Amino acid sequence: MIVADLTPDEFAERLTTIGLGIRFGPFKLRIHSNLPTFARVAYPLYAPYPLLSVDHLLDFHIQISSPPGLRRWLRRQACFALDGHFPFAPYTVEHAFPALEWGINWCIATRAHHLLLLHAAGVERDGRAILFPASPGDGKSTLCTALIHSGWRLLSDEFGLVLPEDGRLLPVPRVIPLKNESIDVIRRFRPEAVIGPSFLNTRKGTVAHVQPPIDSIRRAREPAWARWLVFPRWVADAPLSLQPITKSQAFLMVASNAFNYDVLDETSFRLINAMVRTCDCFTLVYSRLEEAISALDQLDRVDHV
Amino acid sequence: MVLLPAGKALIWQKLDEHFIVYQPSSAETHILNETSALILASIELGPRSIHSALEWAAMRLGVPTNDLDIEEFSAAMVRLDELGLVDCQDDVMVVSE
Repeated sequence: MIVADLTPDEFAERLTTIGLGIRFGPFKLRIHSNLPTFARVAYPLYAPYPLLSVDHLLDFHIQISSPPGLRRWLRRQACFALDGHFPFAPYTVEHAFPALEWGINWCIATRAHHLLLLHAAGVERDGRAILFPASPGDGKSTLCTALIHSGWRLLSDEFGLVLPEDGRLLPVPRVIPLKNESIDVIRRFRPEAVIGPSFLNTRKGTVAHVQPPIDSIRRAREPAWARWLVFPRWVADAPLSLQPITKSQAFLMVASNAFNYDVLDETSFRLINAMVRTCDCFTLVYSRLEEAISALDQLDRVDHV
Repeated sequence: MVLLPAGKALIWQKLDEHFIVYQPSSAETHILNETSALILASIELGPRSIHSALEWAAMRLGVPTNDLDIEEFSAAMVRLDELGLVDCQDDVMVVSE
């Protein structure tokens, strides 16, 4: 079953009663919420994702709800909780959906230490993946969104999940949060993209979420091998530049973009070393999505020859 | 003054012209240039004087000792000491050539 098999009312009822069991790639979550506004936004965006039955073992029990006690009557707020603990200050209730999505990121980044967690977007075609390790603001989400609407499969917009046993990348194809100007850039680039409502004045500016193509969600349990490491940077009006970099540079850049390099110790060293050795490594500076996609498609074509 | 290996069982990988070294005792990863890597490699078998390490490095590179930049060598040694990859001590039995 997928979320769309529920009616909107059934979806909202689950959130307030037994919780919504949902799967994002390798992660199994149960979400509780008593916020009708959250249910209305989440239902269409989560519609294609697999539902879990009540007897599944779960990775995260999370909640996005009004504050406990009397505060719920004083302020219209949304509080994120993991296992009953509230790690963040309350959000305004209108921002409940992005708050939950950021909360899930936090859960993964701080708990999923059975995997090497790279701060990277990833896309795949024909079993070979491009990883885009990058810092916030470098344009990886925008580029990744454009690529998955141009024939590439989404692995993740936020996490390069590396399996310690063999170095393959696990997909976690969740909704992609676009920020500020990127929202209109993608609306113009692919008018058919499924984009949720814009949330104004969040802690990260205006945010809107893109639903990944259905094929990416259906294939969420198909790992892929990294073939290219591309370090992107969007620069206004810059000419396209795709330049090879040395493997030692790439090693440093990947390791410094890992969430849990220190936690996994020698395993991280071994995995990143193997990845850097097998990948071609580039920096990419771009201002126009069409040019960037064409250059990345060309990498893929050359590799096929 | 002699040099001793500070971290046992370093894990080495050569990537293009650099060496990437994982130090299990500190869980740190270091990127080393050739000079630093040669200093570390020279003391893997045991303590050496700085001069002996310099001679060993020159022999490995196939150049006269005078061709090596002693200032660069000393600076690299200080940095390795700061990183905890070597220990600089005064009285230790030195490995003979």
